[in-house]
Amino acid sequence: MGIVFTRMFSSLFGNKEARILVLGLDNAGKTTILYRLQMGEVVSTIPTIGFNVETVQYNNIKFQVWDLGGQTSIRPYWRCYFPNTQAIIYVVDSSDTDRIGIAKEEFHAILEEDELKGAIALIFANKQDLPGALDAAAVTDALELHKLKNRQWAIFKTCAVKGEGLFEGMDWLSNTLKAGGG
Amino acid sequence: MSGVTRASSAKVRLRGLLSQTDNRTCADCGAPDPKWASANIGVFLCLKCCGVHRSLGTHISKVLSVALDEWSDEEIEAMIEVGGNSAANSIYESYRPEGFKKPGPNATNDERRRFIMAKYEQQEFVKPSLRITSGRNSYSSSCVQSNLSGKILDTILSTSSHKSDGMVEFIGLLKVKVVKGINLAIRDMMTSDPYVLLTLGQQTAQTTVKSSDLNPVWNEDLMLSVPNNYKSVKLEVYDHDTFSADDIMGEAEIDIQPLITSAMSYGDPQMFGNMQIGKWLKSNDNALMEDSIVNIVDGRVIQEVSLQLQNVESGEIYLEVEWLSLDQ
Repeated sequence: MGIVFTRMFSSLFGNKEARILVLGLDNAGKTTILYRLQMGEVVSTIPTIGFNVETVQYNNIKFQVWDLGGQTSIRPYWRCYFPNTQAIIYVVDSSDTDRIGIAKEEFHAILEEDELKGAIALIFANKQDLPGALDAAAVTDALELHKLKNRQWAIFKTCAVKGEGLFEGMDWLSNTLKAGGG
Repeated sequence: MSGVTRASSAKVRLRGLLSQTDNRTCADCGAPDPKWASANIGVFLCLKCCGVHRSLGTHISKVLSVALDEWSDEEIEAMIEVGGNSAANSIYESYRPEGFKKPGPNATNDERRRFIMAKYEQQEFVKPSLRITSGRNSYSSSCVQSNLSGKILDTILSTSSHKSDGMVEFIGLLKVKVVKGINLAIRDMMTSDPYVLLTLGQQTAQTTVKSSDLNPVWNEDLMLSVPNNYKSVKLEVYDHDTFSADDIMGEAEIDIQPLITSAMSYGDPQMFGNMQIGKWLKSNDNALMEDSIVNIVDGRVIQEVSLQLQNVESGEIYLEVEWLSLDQ
């Protein structure tokens, strides 16, 4: 899948927990992904007007995963969680083509923040089961991922309710963090 | 990132529509005081039903929060055009069989899900002649999807459990302007390189380092998100060292409860002129140098705080704290 390495970081990654933020517009599937990763189950969710935080163990790395609400007026709260973050999981509803432009703007705005300079970015092109879902290449274009500079990133097609693609993404995340990214 | 939502005239019209009698209960389960809406279907929904709508995909239902989301003028116009829950239900439930009971406010998630999928995705209760032509989704395509979604539904129903207990809700943002420090302690040979670190729960925020300055002026804004079960904010001052661990230069606790409680009891500060609304009193148990007043100033809730740093020989920190409420 479209993994692109743009730069290798040389920071050390020890045995401590990796802090991961799951971000994206409202109803992209962030909470569903968090609990699919943590419990291996599909849960019924309500909008997150705040955050959920869980510890997920994967490939010998302990991830502290923060799922922050995506409603417009919650997005300004995201930055309070940027310090000490090793990775961003950015979740996109691939079938919500009307708002993919907003998804792009929010994503690029996040990555401009100083506190996330060293964070790696994993993009989940979610909801691949829904009609009209854009594929990974189309989401890459729509999010203008090729414009990212000095950032390790990868995009994966996912369907969180079926559990597809999530662990491929987590493999990339854990391998990249072990290799010293983030 | 988008700023905090401002009221616009369109938003006022949306709130007007929401206050209409038939919109005071959820279109699907009848629960009181719905705060969510499906912008393409044109109904107001409770939180639980909105959760189900969100799971259907935006090709069937585009869910927005009346308070927490920014609405485009077109979306608001569309809601107004539908005319509210009664008008929408007269289409989506016109052929609901007699004796068929809608889920109630206390329905389980499965009951809700079955009804909402039947109502909007399969459009089972729409007048049959309308099903084919009904605007947003052509029936043929939603028919194909419903098979697919049916399969997904089966997997969801077989494994689903509720997960909202773990959620921590935000009630607002705290904007802490670290104004200045006075007479801070010496940690290097003659001076210190101070910075201020704020901690609230697992969040931290810090100012820049002012090199060789015992009376630093920062005027820097630090943001902290405040959850519903908030505790006090811990303030620490450190001396930045390049080659060793940073040395502590004193600390203080900031009790944010007086600010938040008074702000919450007044509601929208823009409705009030400049006035005093609360107070955090100086006592032997806190680090205040004088009573700290909570004021409404030009529609903002602001508290000036002057702290005597604790567990250190000397040092004062001056803050200006602003409360930005998350109105739901």
